[in-house]
This record gives sequence, structure tokens and C-alpha cells, in this order.
Amino acid sequence: MQEILQYLFSGLTNGAIYAVIALGFSILFNATELINFAHGEFVMLGALCLVTLWSGLHLPLPLALLLSAAAVGGVGFLFQRLAIHPVRKPDHIVLVIITVGASIFFRGLGMLLWGKDAFAVPSFTRKASVEVAGAVLTSQSLVIIGTVGVLALVLHFFFRRTLTGKAMEACAISRRAAWLTGIPAQGMVLLAFVLSAVIGGLGGLIIAPITMCSYDMGTVLGLKGFCAAMLGGLGSLWGAVLGGLLLGVLESLSVGLINSGLKDATAFLLLLMILYVRPSGLLGNRSVQRF
Amino acid sequence: MRFADDNPNGPPARPTDSPGGPLLRLEGVSKTFGGVQALKDISFEVPSGTVMGLIGPNGAGKTTLFNLISGIFAPDGGRILYGGTDIGGRPTHRLVADGIARTFQNVELFESLTAAENVMVGQYVRTRCGFWGAWLRGPGARREERDSQAAAAEWLRFVGLAGEARTPSGELPFGWQRLLEIARALASRPRLLLLDEPAAGLNAVETEQLGRLILEIRGRGITILLVEHDMSLTMEVCDRIVVLDRGEKLAEGTPREIQTNVDVLSAYLGPDVGAPSRQQAR
Amino acid sequence: MVRPSLHNLVPYAFFVVLVGSAGLWVDNPYYFQILSMIGIHALLALALNLLMGYAGQISLGHAAFYGIGAYASALLSARYGLSPWLALPCAMLAAGLVALVVGYPTLKLSGYYLGMGTLGIGMIVFIVFREWSSVTGGASGFVGIPPLGLGGRALLDVRSYYFLVWAVVLLALCGSQRLIRSRVGRALRSIHDSEAAARAVGIPTSRLKLQVFVLSAVMSAVAGFLYAHMVGFISPDTFSFIVSVKLVTMVVIGGMASIWGALLGAALLTLLPEVLHAFAEFEMVVYGLILMTVMIFLPQGLTRGILDIYALRRRQSERAARPAD
Ligand SMILES: Nc1ncnc2c1ncn2[C@@H]1O[C@H](COP(=O)(O)OP(=O)(O)OP(=O)(O)O)[C@@H](O)[C@H]1O
Ligand SMILES: [Mg+2]
Repeated sequence: MQEILQYLFSGLTNGAIYAVIALGFSILFNATELINFAHGEFVMLGALCLVTLWSGLHLPLPLALLLSAAAVGGVGFLFQRLAIHPVRKPDHIVLVIITVGASIFFRGLGMLLWGKDAFAVPSFTRKASVEVAGAVLTSQSLVIIGTVGVLALVLHFFFRRTLTGKAMEACAISRRAAWLTGIPAQGMVLLAFVLSAVIGGLGGLIIAPITMCSYDMGTVLGLKGFCAAMLGGLGSLWGAVLGGLLLGVLESLSVGLINSGLKDATAFLLLLMILYVRPSGLLGNRSVQRF
Repeated sequence: MRFADDNPNGPPARPTDSPGGPLLRLEGVSKTFGGVQALKDISFEVPSGTVMGLIGPNGAGKTTLFNLISGIFAPDGGRILYGGTDIGGRPTHRLVADGIARTFQNVELFESLTAAENVMVGQYVRTRCGFWGAWLRGPGARREERDSQAAAAEWLRFVGLAGEARTPSGELPFGWQRLLEIARALASRPRLLLLDEPAAGLNAVETEQLGRLILEIRGRGITILLVEHDMSLTMEVCDRIVVLDRGEKLAEGTPREIQTNVDVLSAYLGPDVGAPSRQQAR
Repeated sequence: MVRPSLHNLVPYAFFVVLVGSAGLWVDNPYYFQILSMIGIHALLALALNLLMGYAGQISLGHAAFYGIGAYASALLSARYGLSPWLALPCAMLAAGLVALVVGYPTLKLSGYYLGMGTLGIGMIVFIVFREWSSVTGGASGFVGIPPLGLGGRALLDVRSYYFLVWAVVLLALCGSQRLIRSRVGRALRSIHDSEAAARAVGIPTSRLKLQVFVLSAVMSAVAGFLYAHMVGFISPDTFSFIVSVKLVTMVVIGGMASIWGALLGAALLTLLPEVLHAFAEFEMVVYGLILMTVMIFLPQGLTRGILDIYALRRRQSERAARPAD
């Protein structure tokens, strides 16, 4: 029992991170119908920036967090301006190849800048871990789970209550109609990119203390974030959160109860299963296939 | 499958149902998108061998009706009977094989293919060479390819694009792209042809040619459902007309009846206008 | 248009002469290995090109099918003593089945799903190669793969292996060419241009995409077979994600939807690391930059894009010249 609870806790912690990454995918998809294959690399950049700024330059933690998030946002800005904006004919395959190119480029850049070694980052707080029925919940886990909750609420408020948020959603529904009603669609796309990059970077920041950070950590995390987004329903905010947590817990249980080699396979098998059974995901309402 | 009338110059497959009976019959068809009721309880018949007009203001649901008939969406309610059988939910490519072809309001050609290749793609459901046929290229496959090319040339000539066979379709002038789309649809040898605003963007001369082309297609025994905003063209070529407004069927009748129908005029021009006159929508 | 005219045979003749003279003239096992490697990469690029360049679908895990071909054939021939020539169809079948399982759900949807699905399967297969050490030899690799023999007697030397590889490439070239110039090929290209319109003219798009995906996977498995029996030793790193990206880059350089371009892309990316030894450091950055810039400026791919611009110019000048006479 205690063991199961322990797996549950670690599953929730990992799942919260997948949820953050999934949120980034979903926001971008909502505004642009684009899947960014380089999204995982934003996570990597966030984590490695933190390594440099906090562990390397010994900046105060809040400043280091802020600067890292801003740096990743800047990368997202440049990416949209330099690589996505100039595309004249936005075919699926062209955009996919560009984001794949960006992904491998960021990875290569990460390797050149930070080397091939993996870095460890200390926990954000020095508070002791909490014990529940014999199972340990570390303070960093609490930080991570808290972050997801706050982030989801903020985003919910942003998309439901603010004009900018609603405008962004309108763009996704029809670029042309949005343009006719005076919504600057291009600006919204840019904003969606930066927002999604910052959220990806945030995922990297909170995961940094509980994993080894290296230039190649992004791809797998990106894929799992995507699985989580699909599981919950691509484009659905709470779906992303639900999908992330569910994926984390299932993964953790499969490691604990079946075989640790299966960990990375779980996410993918789950993805295949969703695609077979319900491509619109658990909470997705609109069909993924549009004419 | 090879058809008895596989000869590209010959007439297309003829309806098998009773002559003069309805080829297409809609019974209370409805469709909603989210909160928008795009079509509400639409019923009418399209008699075999006629040109049926479908008119209505922007957003009336004409294109949506085409999307239902061609199987892109399934209707939420009601039945669509084609040759007497319900085709609701049948996949698009099956419907094309069954003889329903269409064109698009915003031309949807395959831009990297030449005009002739576009028409040959249109013949997909009437040809059968698969992967093995392509690799082995036996006599049957070669004959089919030759026939296919001859038929493509013939359809291009039919719509008046004989000289453009090797031009990439994306480079054709817009009016010709519309004609090419019709040729591509005809190449599947349909019994029912759905034309979505074929005259949009055409000049007066081209529109007149289009009118003659439509009558010529009907002359080959193909039933046509025509969505068109150009009223003079519609009145000229249609045998009967159905008027849609905001998803509902407003009126049905011969062109003359529709022209004098007060409801129709007010739908187009606002409730205050009553005087019957020949008006062009938009 | 389709009749095999002299015009169409010229590139083939050129190809045969080039490959033949290189095979007779070169006399260094190391060069033979590189040239055969170019052939194997060309085969992979051709396979991926059918999928990407013609059907407009992307696979980010083609190294997995390459790897399945290599490992399956290696296992069956080294561990179970099957003749490699019998192992080959089994390897092709295995790759085809995996492709079917991944492709079936993802290709029913249009858009990005195949990309993510193949990315996933690429990783899973890589993990299996690395972790299942009792069967695959794990991270240190699989040794003792028997070389190929013909007629039960002579084992192939490097020169004949080179000819074997390039004969397979020639076969694949002809097959691809025939395919894309057929009814199926036109349908695939139309899916690339507009999947919705393709469906509306009667093409069963999901089925066709799935068929070409499986075909592409099976061709890649053949490349894996050729690789495994050439080098006699395989390890997971040869089939990693970066290799999948490298294959995509080959297709993009070679020009999507250009059969001969695939050869160019394969040759370039095989030779680059051999010539530039510092390349390994910058490999990812370079691939990334190539992919992004080519797609932004020449979405048809490098060779194809340049050829298209040339053809357009020529047509324009022809058109301009017409009223003059
Ligand atoms: N795929 C869709 N998703 C959501 N709403 C749709 C969709 N297709 C059509 N609609 C809505 O259904 C209504 C009818 O649209 P439709 O395109 O059928 O009109 P139409 O008669 O063809 O107009 P037009 O003359 O402008 O072509 C419109 O309100 C439109 O917004
Ligand atoms: Mg319309």
C-alpha cells in the first residue's frame, strides 16, 4: 500500500511536468493548428539556462527563474519570426520539417554551449519532505504540482476572461474571420508562440531539480508532453492537465508494478491506444479532422 | 472494373433507376455546427437528367448541403437517397465511385500536377492499376494508362482546354481552373454532378461559355445540381430551382416561378422590396 | 508522355555507366565501403522520398525500420542459422507489420499524427535494441553476422557487394519511377497537394497513405539487411533518432519529389562526415539549419526547387517569345 502510494506521488510529480509541457502544445495548437516538434527543446533550454544562471552564476533563485523563462520566451519569439513567419505556403509537411529542423538545431546548439555532460540542480526550497502514510512527498514535488495548478488557473482566466485570450481563440477558429473583425492574427500567432515557449521553459525550470539536465533531455519530454496533450484532448486546457497527470501515474505504476524498462514505452503505447480508440482525447470536444 | 461504356468518347454510365424518376432525394435533412443550424429539415427531389438550381444568400447553407451529399459530413437528421438508397455516412470516395462528383467554391485543384494529370486523377475510381500493376506494367496496365490519357485529352477538349494539357494547373488563369475542375469531375463519369458557384470569378464571355457547357453536360445524360449567384446564368440553364435561406428551404419552382416569388425577393433584397425585377444577387 | 522514350533512359544509362566504371576502377576496400554506404543511404532516401516527397507524409522514425531490417536479419541468420536470403523476407515482413500498426491509426487522421507516431516508434525500437540485451546484444551491439553468399559457394567480396547494393538501388529507382508515373503515383501526389480534394475526387486517401508508408518501411528494411551483412556488426546507435533526422535531411536536400535528387542527398550526407572530421560536433546544428532554410525558401526541396524555378523561367520565356512569331 505504502509502496503504491509512493509510486502515485512520483507519478503525480512527473505527470505535473508532462502537464506543463502538454499545455504548451495545446496553446500553440489552439492558436495556429501547429504541432511544434521543437517544443521539448524549450524545456531543455529552460533547464540548462537555470543551470547556468543559478548554479553557475549564483544569481538569486527568483531572478534566475525569471531570466531563464524570459530567455526561452525570446528564443520562441526569434523562432516564430525567423523560421515560421517567412514560410509562404504553410503546408503541414513544410511546417513539420521546419520545427523538426529547429528541434535538432536547438539540441545541437545546446550541446555546443553546455557540452555533453549532465548537470544536477538543487531543490528550490530547503523545506523538509512531507510524509503521508509512510510515503514521502518531497518539497520539490509540491512546488511542481503547485506550479501546474497555478498555471492552469491563470491560463483558464486568460482564455475565458481577457480580450486577448478570447481573440487568440478566435484566430484558431478562423484566421480570415478574425482578420475581418480586426484581430491582428499575425500578432496572435506570435504571442501564442512566445507563450508556449515560456510555458515549455517553465517545465524545464521545475523539472531541473529532479532530473539530470543535459542537451538531449528535450526530445523524450516533448514526446511525452504530446502524448499527454493527445490523451487529454489536443487543444483542451484541462485536458492537458488531466492527460499529463494520468500519463505520469500510469507510467510510474507500470515501472513499479511491471518493469522499469517499460517506462518510456508506456507513454507511446498509450498514444497509440488513444489514436486507435479516441483520437479526440478524453476531454477534447472538437474532431481532430477538419475539412 | 471495366465498364461496358469504357470508351471515353461514349456517354457516361446511365442511371439504372426508372427513367424520369428522382436521381437524388432529400428527406428532412438537417445539419448543425456547434450552435449554428446550417440546414433545417430540407426536402426536395432532383429528377434524373435535369439541371437543378440551388440559390440563396451567403451563408444559406448551399455548400453545406453539397458537403452532405458528397459525404464530407454526415447529416444530423433526415435521409439522402441516391438512386433509391440511403447514402448518409457513406465515405466520399465510395460515393464518387457510385457516381457523385463535385467541384469546389474555392477551386481545389492539384497545383503541382499538370492539367491532364488532374483529369487523370479524376478517373481514379474508373481505373484500377495498383502498386503491382505500376511495377510490372503489363499489357493491361499499359492499355489502361493509354486509355486514361486519351480520355483526359478528350475531357480537356470538351471543356475547351485542349491546348493546356501539359500546363501545371496552378499556372492556369482562374477561369480556366474552374473549367479544369469541371473536367476533372466529369472524368469520374458521374451520374450526378455538383457544381459550387462555377461562374464566380468568370467574366461575361466565360460565363456564357459555361452556360453552354452545362447544357452540353446535361445533354450527355448527367444530372446537375448547381449552386450559383449569377442569376441570369441560373435562370437560363436550370430546369427547376430550390431557394435556401438561413438553412431553410424557402421556395421551389421553375425559374419563372422563382423570379416572381415575393419571399425569394425579400430574402435577397430585404423585406421592403416587392417589385419583381431581374436582380443579380451580391 | 509515359512511353519509355530515349529521353527517359538517358539518366539510367548515365547511372549505370557511372556505377559500373566506379566499381571497376576503385581498388580500395575502404572506398568500396563508403560507396556501398552511399547506396544504402540512397535506398533509404528513396523509400522516405516516396512517403515525404510524393505522398506528403513525414516519418521521423525511419531509422527504426532500417534497424528492424538489420536486427531481424542478423538475429535469424546468426542466432538461428537461417540463410540470410530467407531472413530477408522475414525482416521485410517485420518492418511492414510494425509500420502497419503505427500507420493505421495515425494515417486515418490528416496532419501531424504520423510524425509523432513515427517519432515514438523510433524511440521505442531504439530502446528495445539497447535494453533487450539478451537478444540484441544491448548497447555494445550484435556481432558475428554472416556475410552474404551467392549460390551457396562464393562469399561476396567488397566489390561484388558494392555491385549488389547498387543493383538494388537501380531496382528501387526503376520501381519508384514506375510507381510515381502511374495512377497510384498521381493519386499520391494529389494527396500531397490537397488531401481534402483528393478524397473528394474519389481517392481512398487513408488506405493509399498506409500502403505507401508500409512500402517505404519495407524498402528501409532491405537497406537494413544490406547494411547488417556488409559490416557484420550492428549497434543501436546506427538506428537512433538522429539517423532518422539525417534521412529526412537527405530527402530535403535531394529535393522532395525527385527520384534522382535522393541519390544526391544520400551521397552528400554520407560523404560530408567522411571528409570533414570536425563535422560530428556540428552535425545536429548543420542538419537543423539545412532543414529550416531549405523549407523556408524552397519548400519543394533543394534540387526540385531549383529545377522548378528553371522550368518556370523557361516556360515564361517561351510564352514571351510566342507572340513574336
Ligand atoms: N465546417 C463548418 N464548421 C462550422 N460552421 C460551418 C461549417 N461549414 C459551414 N458552416 C456554417 O454554416 C452556415 C452555412 O454555410 P455555407 O458555406 O453552407 O453557406 P453557403 O450558402 O455556401 O454560402 P456562400 O454563398 O457564402 O457560399 C454558415 O453559417 C457557416 O458559417
Ligand atoms: Mg458556399
